[in-house]
Amino acid sequence: MRSDRFESISIDRRSSVSYDDQIKESIKALILDQTFYYQALLPTPQQLAKLLHVETELTEKAYKKLVKENYIKYIDPKGYVVAYFELTNYFFYRNIAIYDAISALGLSPSIECIEKKVVQLTDAELQSMGFSTGEKLFYINRIYKGNDKPIIILENYIPLSIFKDMDKKFTGTEPLNAYMDKEYNLKAKLSFRVTKAVNLSSKLASILGERKNAASIESTNKVYDQFDRLIDYGQSHTTSSYYFQALVTREEMLSYYQKEQIPLTT
Amino acid sequence: MDYIYVNKKLKTPIYKQISNSITKAIDEGVLSYNDKLPTEKEICKTFSISPTAVKMAYEDLILNQKIKRIKGKGTYVTNRYLFHTPLHEFYQVDTYINTKDLTYQYQDIMFDYIDEDITAYRMLKLTKGEHCYVILRLIKANRNPVMLQKIYLPEKYFPKLQHKHEESNRLYDLIEQKYNHKIKNMNNTFSPINASSDEALLLKIEVDDAIYFVRSKIVDIKDQVVAYVANYFPGEFTEFEVMVHAL
Repeated sequence: MRSDRFESISIDRRSSVSYDDQIKESIKALILDQTFYYQALLPTPQQLAKLLHVETELTEKAYKKLVKENYIKYIDPKGYVVAYFELTNYFFYRNIAIYDAISALGLSPSIECIEKKVVQLTDAELQSMGFSTGEKLFYINRIYKGNDKPIIILENYIPLSIFKDMDKKFTGTEPLNAYMDKEYNLKAKLSFRVTKAVNLSSKLASILGERKNAASIESTNKVYDQFDRLIDYGQSHTTSSYYFQALVTREEMLSYYQKEQIPLTT
Repeated sequence: MDYIYVNKKLKTPIYKQISNSITKAIDEGVLSYNDKLPTEKEICKTFSISPTAVKMAYEDLILNQKIKRIKGKGTYVTNRYLFHTPLHEFYQVDTYINTKDLTYQYQDIMFDYIDEDITAYRMLKLTKGEHCYVILRLIKANRNPVMLQKIYLPEKYFPKLQHKHEESNRLYDLIEQKYNHKIKNMNNTFSPINASSDEALLLKIEVDDAIYFVRSKIVDIKDQVVAYVANYFPGEFTEFEVMVHAL
């Protein structure tokens, strides 16, 4: 964790609020605005105390309060890490595996592979997905569950020219990003997602345990590796009770509203 | 059907003449979203042409996303505006609708004064009996609804709103300029819902169609929830995109 992010923490020595509460509230704000996200490692109380020029006792007190409020937790021997988390910000804003996101919700995650096969799509289909013509794809259809209840269904198309023999090696239940990294040394560098609200087809609905036509969030994802190659084209569908949150900051709103306003027609 | 013109002496294939005239009628506004097109049989009979030509014309139009077939109902014009924004900019109608030849409009269809609403009051931390204004607002692009908003403004933060509110007011201007509340952030929850019959009517979609439902809490620098907005986007015509960079 870069220490310069902590420079926004300043202690107001004239305030009636205790120093440890000031430290606690500042860290909480940094977690809530996602400067520090799930599983990020925090500096030790000693390091932070040195940075802020305060007694270690105060930072320790602040950390203990944050642990009590479930914002952070202590993992032996790593240290203090962020424990707070909203499911979606992880699905949609971070390259964190859904598997980890589910377990962070306090649910026990599992992956069930419904189907995996090599597919040869038409050139028009391949082009619309962003692959080169003639590419052979490895299709994987999996469902992610939390405490055995379906949460999200994923379909992935993976180019076999990059992932040689993956169709023979991949068992179907490994978390995908970790597998690509471990077996092929390829990392998901950029993921481009488009989300829509759609009605579930009867096939998807039955897998997710929903009625046909239930509303669902569909996300179409294109994942690029460190060499800017398309390594994964995927589509996911959530259960209808799924939701996610996104915070829009004042700065973002101002950059829009303070632009010259185009006259309205009413 | 008078927007279709067929001249059998021309070299242009008949199916092309049909699809061209329908495209022209859509582009010029003679036909608009959800208008029903004649059946293939009706066109065959009127113009004395083969069913193949009509079939080809309609397939051409479907491919170009000008029309769509609804099973058991018929063929409809579907040239509706697709609202596509980065997820964080879903409220920026100025940027995304006022482009090309599109203009957007605000249309307020209700102004109300209430003292109870379970969901909204929980969001706003109001208790039953406290008063709150409600504005039902449609935002449209070329006459088609892009979003429906239910805007809740507590009286304690917006006293005498009935005198200060104007239809063309952007919510931001109302909060920051007319009432001097300094906004800290907007906290949004995105979820999928199925359209009820009143929502479907206002959004010009079918009952049970998917809606992208976005609940927005507007928080000021005193950490008060000064406004709550329930936004309804027609699912088929709305896309939010996100770029995720690995860390």
